[in-house]
Amino acid sequence: MTEGRIVQWLKQPGDRVEVGESVMVVESDKADMDVESFEAGYLALIQVEEGESADVGATVGIIVESKDDISKVGTSAPAPAATKAPASSSQAQAPTPAPPTPEAPKTAASSAAPPKPKLAEIFMPALSSTMTEGKIVEWAKGEGDKVEVGDMVMVVESDKADMDVESFEEGYIAHISVDAGQSCVVGEPVAFLAKTEAEIPLVKAWATSTSAGASTEKATTSEPSTSATTAAAAEAQAAPPVTTTSTPASMPVVNEGRIIASPLAKATAKKEGIDLKYVKGTGPSGRIVETDVLKAKEAQPVQPYTPPVGKIIATPDAKKVAKKEKIDLAAVKGTGNFGRITAEDVLRAAGKAPVEVGKAPATKSSPAKPAAAPEPSKTTTEIPAGAVAMNAMQKAVAQNMTASLTTPVFRLTYTIKTRALDELYAKLKPKGVTLSALLAKAVAIALSRHPIMNALYSEDTIVYRSEVNVAMAVALKDGGLITPTLMNADKTDLYTLSRNWKDMIQRAMDKKLTPKEYSGGAFIISNLGMFGVDQFDAILPPGVPGILAVGASKPVVGLQENGLVGVHKEMKVTMTADHRIIYGADGAEFLKELTNIIENETTELVM
Amino acid sequence: MAFVHTFCPPFSRGYSFPSLSYQRSSFIRPVLTRRVVVRSNTRKSNAPRASFDYDLAIVGAGVGGHGAALHAVAKGLKVCVFEARDIGGTCVNRGCVPSKALLAAAGRIREMKDADHLRALGISLDGVSYDRQGVADHANGLASKVKGNMANSLTALGVTIINSRATLLGAQIIKGSDGKTYTAENIILAPGSVPFVPRGIEIDGKTVFTSDDALKMEWVPDWVAIVGSGYIGLEFSDVYTALGSNVTFVEAMPNLMPGFDPEIARLAQRLLINPRPIDYHTNVFAAKVTPGIPGQRPVVIDLIDAGTKEQVDQLEVDAAMIATGRAPFTEGLGLESVQVETQRGFVPVDDRMRVLDKDGNVIDHLYAIGDVNGKMMLAHAASAQGISAVENMVGKEHQVDHNAVPAACFTHPEISMVGLTEPQAKEKASNEGFELGKSVGHFRANSKALAEGEGDGIAKVLFNKSNGKILGVHIIGLHAADLIQECSNAVARGTTVDELAFCVHTHPTLSEVVDEAIKGAVGMAAH
Repeated sequence: MTEGRIVQWLKQPGDRVEVGESVMVVESDKADMDVESFEAGYLALIQVEEGESADVGATVGIIVESKDDISKVGTSAPAPAATKAPASSSQAQAPTPAPPTPEAPKTAASSAAPPKPKLAEIFMPALSSTMTEGKIVEWAKGEGDKVEVGDMVMVVESDKADMDVESFEEGYIAHISVDAGQSCVVGEPVAFLAKTEAEIPLVKAWATSTSAGASTEKATTSEPSTSATTAAAAEAQAAPPVTTTSTPASMPVVNEGRIIASPLAKATAKKEGIDLKYVKGTGPSGRIVETDVLKAKEAQPVQPYTPPVGKIIATPDAKKVAKKEKIDLAAVKGTGNFGRITAEDVLRAAGKAPVEVGKAPATKSSPAKPAAAPEPSKTTTEIPAGAVAMNAMQKAVAQNMTASLTTPVFRLTYTIKTRALDELYAKLKPKGVTLSALLAKAVAIALSRHPIMNALYSEDTIVYRSEVNVAMAVALKDGGLITPTLMNADKTDLYTLSRNWKDMIQRAMDKKLTPKEYSGGAFIISNLGMFGVDQFDAILPPGVPGILAVGASKPVVGLQENGLVGVHKEMKVTMTADHRIIYGADGAEFLKELTNIIENETTELVM
Repeated sequence: MAFVHTFCPPFSRGYSFPSLSYQRSSFIRPVLTRRVVVRSNTRKSNAPRASFDYDLAIVGAGVGGHGAALHAVAKGLKVCVFEARDIGGTCVNRGCVPSKALLAAAGRIREMKDADHLRALGISLDGVSYDRQGVADHANGLASKVKGNMANSLTALGVTIINSRATLLGAQIIKGSDGKTYTAENIILAPGSVPFVPRGIEIDGKTVFTSDDALKMEWVPDWVAIVGSGYIGLEFSDVYTALGSNVTFVEAMPNLMPGFDPEIARLAQRLLINPRPIDYHTNVFAAKVTPGIPGQRPVVIDLIDAGTKEQVDQLEVDAAMIATGRAPFTEGLGLESVQVETQRGFVPVDDRMRVLDKDGNVIDHLYAIGDVNGKMMLAHAASAQGISAVENMVGKEHQVDHNAVPAACFTHPEISMVGLTEPQAKEKASNEGFELGKSVGHFRANSKALAEGEGDGIAKVLFNKSNGKILGVHIIGLHAADLIQECSNAVARGTTVDELAFCVHTHPTLSEVVDEAIKGAVGMAAH
């Protein structure tokens, strides 16, 4: 029961109410019930009228101590005892709810249901004279566990030390209201004990309903029950697996009837688990000798491993993460060795880890072969099912793109002949220099000569930067986009730039770049030339002075320098720039400079 | 690594130098020269000295045999050592030494991966990576270096190293696997131990292995099950998780770390197990372990309930490490020639390390030290026993006080202990009718620990309230292994908490954690 409808008020405002007297009839999900008051007094106000519904724990009416107080209610805050909607579904069979306990809470502003069952509370203890708040490091007992007097129930971190805290009461832990890792002030209840095992659900219901109304950060209180169910379901599925016996199905039987084998061959066969029926003898008179057995073992196809059906196999880390993220492992697809669930899989399911396709198995090594699971063949493109939640990076891109609309931009296109660049690249490629590094270097040199192109707009100011960094856009396989930044690209030699760039790409794929490496607001190059794109313009992300969109270098028929018609290669670059600080002429001069460097001053690049 | 599986029994012996031995030693010392063997009154042999090839033959050049050899040379004896495998034995080649190298690397990796901790110190790092082969080379290099040093120290002192397996033909005769026969007036058996592998577990050295193979660090499995949660298992869980593996413990006892003081074990679980990618199954046996093939077939472990023996679960992991303890290595030792019957595999000895025959009588001239006698399976205990055996053979009656031998587990943070655990101390207190005192010092209250950002841990002192004598000390926390020595000395010398409370400790050092606990014991706590 989460909400109840008030069928009828048995008392009206101004009426005297005795303890145990029925005040209202509530329709729960199972039956209509008379609800009795825990408090004596006068019904001052009805807040939820007949026929209306209220959440469990909500105030439905207010009872005051004396008749004189009735008039005060309604004008001021409802300070006196309030009648609350009861959670009575647990006593559904009873014609009337159980009578209220004599120890009904006086302090709390709840007078009516849910009825407080017999329970004991475990409080946050004061472990030192200076302690005002404690953090629960660990629960030694879980919900449902039996607790004896003197049992260690939890570990509390005080300002000085971690202390084991023992219980003064005995009973069963029905509800833990402060989870491990959370803090609360000294004296606050952290768990509720039921007197008997049977009362656990009652106490739990009571405890969750009270804390849900009172506490601030108890959004999770209703969840343990659901996760408990799923855990039980998971356990049910994890029934003891059947051990499979291996039969070499694919091997032909070569020996029928009596088998002649040397004693050593027999011993070896037994040791290696080889059935001699399948072994062809090559010894004297076709007798099976040891080498035959060993050969048969070599030839024996390795039993393909089939994980036990219905069993959830997850690494210890994955289980811990799942508990923390409240993810049901049954719903997580495992991508680890032998299809097991890893911590990353769980994080992915929780939407916290970017989806990484075809991730290399880190730097691990194995004695024989790499332990990577066989990659599923990727001949067909899988179509994602309908709406797919964005990962963090995709969300960031979307946000950034929308934000870019606030920057007024302009675009300039230039055509650059690439013969000199191509020649230089051909020469340097064997030395590990990449085209990306060459472009970055060229742009960096041009930027160093045109400081405004490397400046940033800030309110009423232009922020010039002495460091020339160049970022290049990298598309990640999972749909993300990132711009790793080459620092001091104008002063760094090509070889180092190339090396740094390769390293950065790798780390970008592994999601290991530091924020400084991709969010410095550097001038960006976006190169789609490798896809054959002729020309495009890029969107200028906020906080960046300019972005250069580089198209493919393609052969074109045209007039050569020697005056003859011939073929040369050229590429189109389009720059998008922030017009708040960069004007058309600035951009044009910058592109002219860049063109000059690439067409005529390629020696600058290697200096 | 401290290789232990029988853990320190509750010894009630105290100080072990009877006054008689002092008198005898002062009488003996002037006549000691090289090649002169001094006979104690326990000896009956009257064979001429010259008829022996050596005064002392030591079987096994592990830490115990090495310690005995050095001490025997100091006592003027002519010594030979039989070693068929590696000088240094388990500890140096397949135990404490290489594992410390792995732990040193693992500890640094763990530290540098802990971004929160580093940030608290004002440090930031851009990712940490390690080279598995480099780490493995460090461990193996260290082992060969220490092994070389030990061999050199023996030869430099004139100890003959015989690279041959030794078999007893009698209490004073050894047959070498080189075919020669050697005689010695006294023989010390120090053959050590080998990893114990329970039935049903198939070792392939690659996916299912013992510490011997794990120390080679040939690969780092993604998920490794460790069978046994004692010192060895715990240390390897520290190494493996630092290198990025997941670990699952399989423990036959109802609790993890069964040999440890319960309070320390609980804290260890909180510091070393819960925050790491480790889970565990307790009260279960690994009944069957089938090796796998990396990438094709996982290692499959059948778990059966320790009580009902019914299968309760099955694990599919990438590797399994068997750390279920160590078994004495007595194969081919020729114990039958001297009528010795092993007890649960161990060679029985008396308090003076003299071997006992099957009727419980002392066999003259024959001693057994180290893992093989099962008294305390620790390298430094073996060495102490070796020295003690030599003392006894030159006529200085001596007993090792095993209760004062400290032990350590080199996880991050470390665990160390000396003397009794709290339940043992409680039992002793109720048996002997004294009141047990307990005092705890906290690393979180220690300036040095806080400076390091490592405030986790405690030092617990258990003492006899009636006389102030220390019964046991248990430490878990930063550099705990280095902190236990003061307590070990105090237990050995019978120093009281009242005396220790006035010993000045350097400020600011971790030693003040022990100081705090001691001062607390006598009501001098400042905190």
